[in-house]
Amino acid sequence: MTNILVVADIKQGVLKGSTAELLSKAKELGAATAAVAVGSNVTDLAPQLAAAGSDTQYIADDPSLEIFSAAPFAAAVADAAKAFNADMVWFGFSETGKAAAPRVAVQLEAACATEIIDVAIDGDVVHITRPAIANKVLQKMKINAPKLVAVVRAGAFEADPEVTGTENVVTLDPPEKDMAAAVKELISDASGEIDLADADIVVSVGRGAKDQAGVDLVKDLADDLAAGFGSSRAMVDAGLMAHNKQVGQTGKIVAPSLYVAVGISGAIQHLAGMNGAKVILAVNKDPEAPIFNVADFGIVGNLFDVIPLLKEEIKKIRA
Amino acid sequence: MKILTTVKKVVDVELNIHVENGAIVEKGLQYVINAWDENAVEAAVQLKEAHKAETTLVSLGSTDNTDIIRKCYAMGIDNAIHIDDPALAEADSPTFARVLQKVYEAGDYDLVIAGKQAQDTDAGQAGIMLGEFLGIPCVSNVIEIKVTDDTHIQVSRLGDAGTEIVDVTLPAVVTVSDSINEPRLPAMRGIMMAKKKKITVMDLAGLGTSFEEIGGTAPASAVVEFMPVQKRKGGQKFEGDPAEITAQVVQLLVNEAKVL
Repeated sequence: MTNILVVADIKQGVLKGSTAELLSKAKELGAATAAVAVGSNVTDLAPQLAAAGSDTQYIADDPSLEIFSAAPFAAAVADAAKAFNADMVWFGFSETGKAAAPRVAVQLEAACATEIIDVAIDGDVVHITRPAIANKVLQKMKINAPKLVAVVRAGAFEADPEVTGTENVVTLDPPEKDMAAAVKELISDASGEIDLADADIVVSVGRGAKDQAGVDLVKDLADDLAAGFGSSRAMVDAGLMAHNKQVGQTGKIVAPSLYVAVGISGAIQHLAGMNGAKVILAVNKDPEAPIFNVADFGIVGNLFDVIPLLKEEIKKIRA
Repeated sequence: MKILTTVKKVVDVELNIHVENGAIVEKGLQYVINAWDENAVEAAVQLKEAHKAETTLVSLGSTDNTDIIRKCYAMGIDNAIHIDDPALAEADSPTFARVLQKVYEAGDYDLVIAGKQAQDTDAGQAGIMLGEFLGIPCVSNVIEIKVTDDTHIQVSRLGDAGTEIVDVTLPAVVTVSDSINEPRLPAMRGIMMAKKKKITVMDLAGLGTSFEEIGGTAPASAVVEFMPVQKRKGGQKFEGDPAEITAQVVQLLVNEAKVL
């Protein structure tokens, strides 16, 4: 039997949907499942982790873990992996996962695979599939090491509402603080906003919006839809949008039901971050914009005309 | 301060990539410096300009990297080492990290600056693993580097909850995001000078190691095959009266796509 440890994806004290998705997939593969939660005040999440499909919950709960620091986070995950005798450790798609997974892999002498979209256990052999080259190809990889540490790409697996687990809490010793890379402070992202990674609808703004007034207009549409609000690289470079809003190969990777690209031409690096969306709607005044080559629905027009109309139509259907 | 930057030559992602019989079709591909490594080089050169650092570049591969190394020289890098070994064509991330470890140990470096990932594999592992192998701190996804004193830097890192400010004791590894800077276009004078500069080329034996010693012959994972990505196709594109087509599209999103 394969033992799969899923690292709880926790943001601002809230358990993210990816944790249940990963646990569902682990159960589908017939694995024994555990989850590990690392942070401050995370003990209370154990019942949720059980409900999401884990049969053991490893908890590293300490005030020193309030702000993410890669070395102690990885040490706690490695501790849980050893205690559970994990064959695989899975992280949800996050900066936390990307920073911690290679460390955990070295500590467990495991293979490391990032951004995986599928995993298959064929007898003794494990294969994973992941995109590469800016999402232009898929690669199937054979895992030769006895263990695997993986970061799962957003939207790869679906949570099965039928899946559930049992509560069995194991408390871990808090890991040592990293004095050589000491986190001094966290400049927090604006709270209360809808997290891009979780949003069912994402609205992103691009260069076509021109200035702050344009950004505000598109933000209004996002708010009306209760959507996550993202950005192209160009708007971040122009200082109109924050770094953490950038969707693309180098920024956030999103897989919502509906992705609305407003005034975005569709550079390859941007497409790499959103082409997992179920449906793409593009609004662009240039009929030749590459975004229309991937959009399911395209509106050719000036966004300053189209967005207010779109808001109106949405109000009508929601009324 | 002695800075080591790492660069990789990778396939140009702007071009179309074709897959046939489980392999990438080589014909028509072009190779360029990894975009994030260019940010790493720029970051190193900026530190050199502000703090009199000495900058050394290491490139790994089984390819002729003269062109990208000359580019980095023109940007302001002082020294370059190219580890050229046919065995590295098939190497995985930990193996690359082990080569970098050997290069690091042969020098007396205070800081390693690497791109946060390579645009061919998008793995994002080698830099972090290097820190782990060396037992020195590593901060990934860095958007700012400030020198505090001879043995400390302060970096800003983009994390899940916001921007983390981290005090780092040297020696250390940082991997940089493309948000850290805009790589300079080399000036003509730099390009001319770069042509005269020497590139130290060696294979793994020259580095005092072997493919076997660094784990290359027993890779933790290996690519079995490449597959084409199912390409999205453009759907329906509407042009005309904005009010009319917008209403039409919203109806389709509600009734056909069922996402609103």
